[in-house]
Amino acid sequence: MDLTNIQTAELLIDIFAAAILVTAFLIVSSRSLVFYIRLFALQSFFLGVVALLVVLGYGETHILIAAVLTIAIKAIAIPVVLTRVIERIHVQKEIRFSISITASLLLCGGIVILADSVAQSILRSPHADATAVSRVLSVSIAMMLIGLFIMMTRRKALTQIVGLLTMENGVFLSGLSITYGMPLIVEIGIFFDILVAVLILGVFVFRINKTFESISIDSLRSLRH
Amino acid sequence: MSTIIFGLLLGLPVVGTILCAVFHHRKVLEAVTLTSTGLTFLSALWLVSTVMQVTVLSSEEGWWYADGLSAYIIVIVSGSALIVALYSTGYLRRQIRDGNVTTRQLWLYYLLLNVFLFTMMLVLLSNNLGFLWIGSEATTLATAFLVAFYERERSIEAAWKYVIICSVGIALALFGIILTYYSALDVVPSSGSALNWSSLMLVAKDLDPAVLKLAFVFVLVGFGTKAGLAPMHTWKPDAYGEAPAPISALMAAGLVNVALYSLMRFYILVNTAAGGSFASTLFIVFGLVSMGVALPFILIQKDFKRLLAYSSVEHVGIIVFALGIGTPLAYFGALLHLLNNAIAKTLLFLTAGNVRLAYKSKFMLKVTGAIKVMPVSATFLIVGVFAITGWPPFGVFISEFTIMSAAFSEGYAVPAVLFIGIVAAIFVGFIYYTARMVFGEPSRSVKAGEADASTLWLLGVLLAGLLLLGIYIPSPLQQCIQSAVHVLKG
Amino acid sequence: MNAMLTVILPPLLQLLLVLAFAPLITGIIRKTKARLQRRRGASVVQPYFDLAKLLKKEVVVSPVASWLFHATPYIVFSSTLVIALLVPTLVTPVPLHWIGDIITVIYLFALGRFFLALAGLDTGSAFGGLGSSREMSIASIIEPAMMLAIFTAAVTAGSTNLSIIVDRLSSTPASMLNPAHLLAFAGLFIVTLAETGRVPVDNPATHLELTMIHEAMILEYSGRYLAFIEWASQMKLLLFLALMSNMFFPLGMATTWSPGALVLGCVAFVLKVTGLAIVVAVVESTNAKLRLFRVPELLMVAFILSLLALILYFIIGA
Repeated sequence: MDLTNIQTAELLIDIFAAAILVTAFLIVSSRSLVFYIRLFALQSFFLGVVALLVVLGYGETHILIAAVLTIAIKAIAIPVVLTRVIERIHVQKEIRFSISITASLLLCGGIVILADSVAQSILRSPHADATAVSRVLSVSIAMMLIGLFIMMTRRKALTQIVGLLTMENGVFLSGLSITYGMPLIVEIGIFFDILVAVLILGVFVFRINKTFESISIDSLRSLRH
Repeated sequence: MSTIIFGLLLGLPVVGTILCAVFHHRKVLEAVTLTSTGLTFLSALWLVSTVMQVTVLSSEEGWWYADGLSAYIIVIVSGSALIVALYSTGYLRRQIRDGNVTTRQLWLYYLLLNVFLFTMMLVLLSNNLGFLWIGSEATTLATAFLVAFYERERSIEAAWKYVIICSVGIALALFGIILTYYSALDVVPSSGSALNWSSLMLVAKDLDPAVLKLAFVFVLVGFGTKAGLAPMHTWKPDAYGEAPAPISALMAAGLVNVALYSLMRFYILVNTAAGGSFASTLFIVFGLVSMGVALPFILIQKDFKRLLAYSSVEHVGIIVFALGIGTPLAYFGALLHLLNNAIAKTLLFLTAGNVRLAYKSKFMLKVTGAIKVMPVSATFLIVGVFAITGWPPFGVFISEFTIMSAAFSEGYAVPAVLFIGIVAAIFVGFIYYTARMVFGEPSRSVKAGEADASTLWLLGVLLAGLLLLGIYIPSPLQQCIQSAVHVLKG
Repeated sequence: MNAMLTVILPPLLQLLLVLAFAPLITGIIRKTKARLQRRRGASVVQPYFDLAKLLKKEVVVSPVASWLFHATPYIVFSSTLVIALLVPTLVTPVPLHWIGDIITVIYLFALGRFFLALAGLDTGSAFGGLGSSREMSIASIIEPAMMLAIFTAAVTAGSTNLSIIVDRLSSTPASMLNPAHLLAFAGLFIVTLAETGRVPVDNPATHLELTMIHEAMILEYSGRYLAFIEWASQMKLLLFLALMSNMFFPLGMATTWSPGALVLGCVAFVLKVTGLAIVVAVVESTNAKLRLFRVPELLMVAFILSLLALILYFIIGA
């Protein structure tokens, strides 16, 4: 298969973008924290693949490093860190939901439709064909919103991190789709920030676990008003 | 020369960070931090005087950029950092003596204080909007452990909320920046500089207004979260309430202004590109909502630092409201208010720190009769409260008055009346609680005497500054604000 | 004579293929499962012996059973035979393409299930009623997911007529890799597991009171009747696998009645269906049966996959 062929690259990008969206839905549909992290790793891996396809198919070589960093940091390093956190705190499952899984999945379906209408309004601008992969913009906005949705409806601290990271992946994909990514040095800075944020949040999960003996953010309710 | 100034402003906090990372001795840490913040403040003054002459200072490759607006805010931020560093020495020594703080925590405190200052400078000096974002997220990360400093349940809870909410907000802002980049890709000649504010402003008229408006909504939500605009303000009372008093002061006087600065940059861009009243209407609405949301929480507050946090929400609302009015007079009022609020908030948080040291509590019910326990601090407290609630002859009164008259003269009569009503009601709440803290009989267990006499002169300086600004605005300051207003006009 | 041959031979051939191949597929799945569990397992042709034996045995019927109980096996068996002529297996157009499209297929399956559920209630045994009620409640949540998956495939091809779907896809092979198409396939796969009573939803091998669904419904049947019902459900599995493979990946299907194309079509069909059967066996061995209350969640996933497919079809386009 000739990956530098535009048609092939386009088809593969579509498939992997769909796969990314499916991983987000699977996160919404599952209960196990370990599964969340594996799905996130898979999602980031697909994201890295999409970036690589943009490099190969459209010759945008400046994204190469960002693609490699996505796989190295988001698909490997962050999942490893989060898995360590889970092993240490002995919490496996998300049990309480504000909204049932069935209803969440339906709402997320609605989110995708909403995201598409937002994306279309952005792409309606005069330079709509700025990049060939702008079709994926809807998927990226949907990812951001689903990430936000996960953070709003799930109570475990670790799930909140996964939701945040899903959002970040959506933002990265949006950059990839409409602008072929940000300038390299900016991307590197963003990766650095995200990695540090996950490390800090991981430390907080330990501390919350130590002081509250649970990692549910429901126990975080002494601060009101 | 530009290289030297940028190098100093960015390099001094970095050197401070490295030295703090290497040395663990208390005296070295204090000396390093005082030197780095002090020299940064001096460099900031140098930057202002240079910018007043050349209008715009930019590094050769275009990465760094400073104009009247950034110079003005850099001075405020580095100034408050210096005051906080000065206060911290006494405050932390006392805390170590009381056994509240370990030497490891002390080391972390000074290390992160330097990192915090660096990240704020990064935001304020970046020409590239991507770097501005990186810096903003870094400010959150640098302050995360400072908010969780006391490692109690409540402080960890506050820090968790703070990092999560601000990271979500800032992720949305990144999407806004990507949209801005998208709108500029076709227009800016080389794509490498399409994220640079200076090159964006050159072609602002050719940017796609529809995309830019959408971008502005995301940026407003994102940086609005960092600035603490309602309804994204929920982290603020927690973080300000739980962080050590000097850190709360630096967040209220520095970080808030850094976030407002980012908002202003995009505001200028959208106003130039799209024109019309889109951005200004959003600012007026968010400003009034923030003031309105703060009001009930101020009236039922139990904790003095949370009270101040809601006051910060209110004042951010005032500044954003003023920016929304969009006349030169309103801009002048907004920028003056930025300074006044920074000074008054620093004064009150530091005084709150003194009260806390004496009473070992920040709950207002437990604090009574402060005037008998610590006469000087208590005086600062009550006078500071009068100042922050907008009484003459203090600076806050002047800036609020300017904003109000700008609102009336632009025909925003209803918002302006709302504004006055909210400010008056907040004054009542503030005075009610402060009077209970200051007057009355102290409980037996509290030892009389100032907690930390060595830093009282600092509070005096701050109060004197507020008084001065209430009576007379020095001409260098006037010029400086005028040049910032010029930038805001686009 | 020749004209007669072209009218009668193709349907006959297709019918014979489905009838003959269905027990083998069940045998293959059982054998694969046994091997995955490190058992030797029965021979792959064992289902043929089972059917032959059942056909020879006498039928025992409860004295309270009505005519419904006697009629049901024939209705189920014959409706499945009609479906066998509607689903593309070897060649397009399918023999009965003038009767109806994919929707007819779905409702003929529903017809069979309807009578099975009635027969389950008919004898008045507690198990039959339990099985019927479970079967119908699961069916009611399968149906929307199945409809959506199938309609998505229909939308991408522009028709609900199975022969047209197959033709469109064969002429543009790239559209077989369209993300919408792939997702709808995944949705239909889950639906197939539920519809044919495979493991995460039902266990075809159990006769444990608490868990059985389909088996509870047909517990009263014996002998010839049971043989017909078993054979029909084996054909149903084969037909679903055929739908999945040919509606989504119609590679190698014959379009004419030339012997060469037919042989190729036959080989492709056997390979694809056997492959899918092995995948089903692997899924069955690696997953535990879900509690009944969790089944809606699984089917919700199938529904959402299909919904996503439909949305993506409009977002990304074909």
